[in-house]
Amino acid sequence: MSQIETEVLIIGGGVGGAAIARELSKYKVDATLVEKGVDFGQGITKCSSTIMCQGANVLEFRPEYHNSRLVWAGMPLMEPLCRELDIPFKKIGSLELVENQAGMGHPEKMMRRFNEWSGKYRPAGIEPLQFIDRETLRSWEPNVNKKFIGALYDPNIAINDPVRLTIALAENARRNGVNTLLETEVLGISAGTDEFEVQTNNGSIRCRYIINAAGEYVGKLAQMVNADDFVLYPAKLYQAVLDKKVGGLINHLVIATENGMVTPTIHGNLFFGISPGSQRLGKAHDHSTDKKLADTALRHAQTLVPDISAGDIINSFVGFIVFRNFEIGWHECTVGVSRWVPRFINASIGYPGICATPAVGKEMIEILSQQGLQLEENPKFDPYQKAMPDFSELSDEEKKKLIAQDPRYGHVVCRCETVTEGEIVEAIKRGAKTLDGVKFRCRPGMGRCQGGFCGPRVTKILARELGIPEEEVTKKDGESRNLLYKGKELLEAQQ
Amino acid sequence: MKLKDVDVAVIGAGPAGMAAAIKAREAGAENVVIMERAEELGGLLHQCVHNGFGLLYFNQDLTGPEYGHRFIEKVMDTGIQPLLETMVVRLDEDRQIGAVNTQEGYITFKPKSIVLAMGCRERSRGALNIPGTRPSGVLTAGTAQRFVNVEGFVPGNKTVILGSGDIGMIMARRLTLEGAQVEAVVEILPYIGGLIRNEVQCLHDFEIPLFLQHTITRIHGEERVNAVTIAQVDGRRNPIAGTERTIACDTLLLSVGLIPENELSSMAGIQLDPVTGGALVDELRQTNVPGVFAGGNVLHVHDLVDNVSWESELAGESAAKFAIDGKQGKRGEIRVKAGRNIRYVVPQTISGQREATLYMRVSEPEEMVRIKVGDIMTKGVRVVKPSEMLKIELSAEILKKLKEGTKEIVVDCEKRGGK
Repeated sequence: MSQIETEVLIIGGGVGGAAIARELSKYKVDATLVEKGVDFGQGITKCSSTIMCQGANVLEFRPEYHNSRLVWAGMPLMEPLCRELDIPFKKIGSLELVENQAGMGHPEKMMRRFNEWSGKYRPAGIEPLQFIDRETLRSWEPNVNKKFIGALYDPNIAINDPVRLTIALAENARRNGVNTLLETEVLGISAGTDEFEVQTNNGSIRCRYIINAAGEYVGKLAQMVNADDFVLYPAKLYQAVLDKKVGGLINHLVIATENGMVTPTIHGNLFFGISPGSQRLGKAHDHSTDKKLADTALRHAQTLVPDISAGDIINSFVGFIVFRNFEIGWHECTVGVSRWVPRFINASIGYPGICATPAVGKEMIEILSQQGLQLEENPKFDPYQKAMPDFSELSDEEKKKLIAQDPRYGHVVCRCETVTEGEIVEAIKRGAKTLDGVKFRCRPGMGRCQGGFCGPRVTKILARELGIPEEEVTKKDGESRNLLYKGKELLEAQQ
Repeated sequence: MKLKDVDVAVIGAGPAGMAAAIKAREAGAENVVIMERAEELGGLLHQCVHNGFGLLYFNQDLTGPEYGHRFIEKVMDTGIQPLLETMVVRLDEDRQIGAVNTQEGYITFKPKSIVLAMGCRERSRGALNIPGTRPSGVLTAGTAQRFVNVEGFVPGNKTVILGSGDIGMIMARRLTLEGAQVEAVVEILPYIGGLIRNEVQCLHDFEIPLFLQHTITRIHGEERVNAVTIAQVDGRRNPIAGTERTIACDTLLLSVGLIPENELSSMAGIQLDPVTGGALVDELRQTNVPGVFAGGNVLHVHDLVDNVSWESELAGESAAKFAIDGKQGKRGEIRVKAGRNIRYVVPQTISGQREATLYMRVSEPEEMVRIKVGDIMTKGVRVVKPSEMLKIELSAEILKKLKEGTKEIVVDCEKRGGK
């Protein structure tokens, strides 16, 4: 059991914790990021809708929401951040569809609030909203239901890959001096007069500041040290991914207040889900899908884009968001110092999370400074890093060059997403330890056959590269081994 | 052989691709290549260690590897060039192929003709949208078959199998023989999805419980699957409330249908049949793209490998002829339409000038029927089932009965006797 001392301890390796860690790495601070899982971004982050928006449908541009302010500050930072980290980012714009004149209420209100809001804050890089008429809607989106008479167009909406972003943020933080520890679960916290003693499964950590970015466990962590009295409510969002062959059905995020949303993804799939307005409260930590949610989401998606078919769904899952007490505000975030415990800072973003994270990172610096942390710039900070090669995105010439350098890039392991052995080996080198870890880094098993073909092959490569037997390879760590027995093991046990 | 000189390129070296390549060579094509993404020729035959292969084609009861081996030897003996561990990643409308492998890197070439023989893939959990958690231990029956028969692992002990397709039933037997406990085979339809012989030899003989008209309504377990809930379904296949029961298990296999693998075909602008999921072809198995032919499971899912071989030989022969004289046989324009209780017919068009083999499946099981092909022939059949493909040969003699100017032939499955 080890004993670690650190100035700032960040608990939780989701997109929030990783963004804070990366922001802190710009300063000469002794900081440690701990994540209980085997990889970064495998909690709430991986269930994200991948949309970077200002939360018009949820936050309704209400300046009294801390959440709104963070999202607005974070949005313009996202694209440069993705560029620095070499993460895909694409502005697609959104269309809030309008069915009839009576349905103009919400978009008009949004337009008014947007103008008021942007007039007051002048956020850099935010383009104005506009209404588009039926003809424009048709020409932009010929596959959207013909019943819609127009739309409110928001050109600022973008998509990216939140798990890749999280992994890159953590990696960049580590390169710039933050200590990152995976498979380290916080079990208890005791608060002394000017430091905390944190118990983990890997020994104890003494620190002066704690940033609680534990995602759906943020409440549990706060309770360990009686740091807050908030109650968090989990909300379920059913989401489904469609085959790339229908990826071109629409070009923008299309959304209707009551009818969910449909959007292209950064990797060329289509994605639909229940809109935040119609989400349901779930049970804590229950990530299961149910038929009713699935049927409703599909029906809603078909209302928006009639050509969407159940037969094109290749995967579905539940997005999971924790919201703070209803009485404070359904969508309000919890970013700030605990009311009761100094130097214990909660960072629970809620909805819409990911685009707010760059601003949460910046705000965290202010909070830490107010709490007495000395912050001196890190002169060695390097914001840039290169993503691993994405074979399927390369030109023919680039493909040739890469295979010439390393023939493993000529061995396609995942047929659906055209993922090569070279990429899988590189993903493992960069930290993937499980099938999911590989999948979220370079996509084998994310295609239409969902790992039916590549599963056994990726298992083999993982076992080889990690130097473990194949039956020890897991889907997502813990008890999630894929192969429970060696051949004849069961028969021998019976004799 | 230089790639620029290739006459016929076959994509896929399973039973379909091997039969097509051999036949293309026999029909006079000089330079034939067979492109395969796996490490060896044979495709899925390697993992099908059970018997029942070749009963029609060889009049012998062979295992999958034995059946495959006969073709592999022939491929090697006839001077066909295999390109192994080579993945075709691009196919253009002008037959330009883009492929990658570790030896040559990224290669492009334009053969004189192409046979598509990419086979099919299994429907996954995601496609079924089964509610519940997302643990490990949920895999398709074919993937499990590879793990057990090729890689030497048993995915788990207490196993539930959803779907009574052939691979599912064969895996029920296989896992039992490996010492695992198959708790149930769950089938949503009132009848099994695979061949009768598999129901008898794989389920009944091993006393494996079969739940017809049932489905899985929920998957349980956070890290590894630990149970499934099954329920009876009504006539519209919806679960009936109150009939749920939970079965503890550590593995769930899915055998719920196969999908022809036609992403390359779509890339080349080949038109697909929404029912079969394969290309629209005529009796020569030519697609709408000149010089591109298709055969086997990429065209429509077969139940017997013997038919895969025969159909692909036809595609291979047609491809060779095209490569040799550069002319496409006039594409059949008479539509073959699926009529009463017929789900699909392949080919979808015929010329009426050349003999044609029709493959078809019924929609519902029926007894004492006759298959009626327009008004040119009928054939009595005692029992028809969706799981068992029907084959009808239309000889040149029979086709002479076609009236001048016929645009469409309807194939019906009619009740015999009574009404």
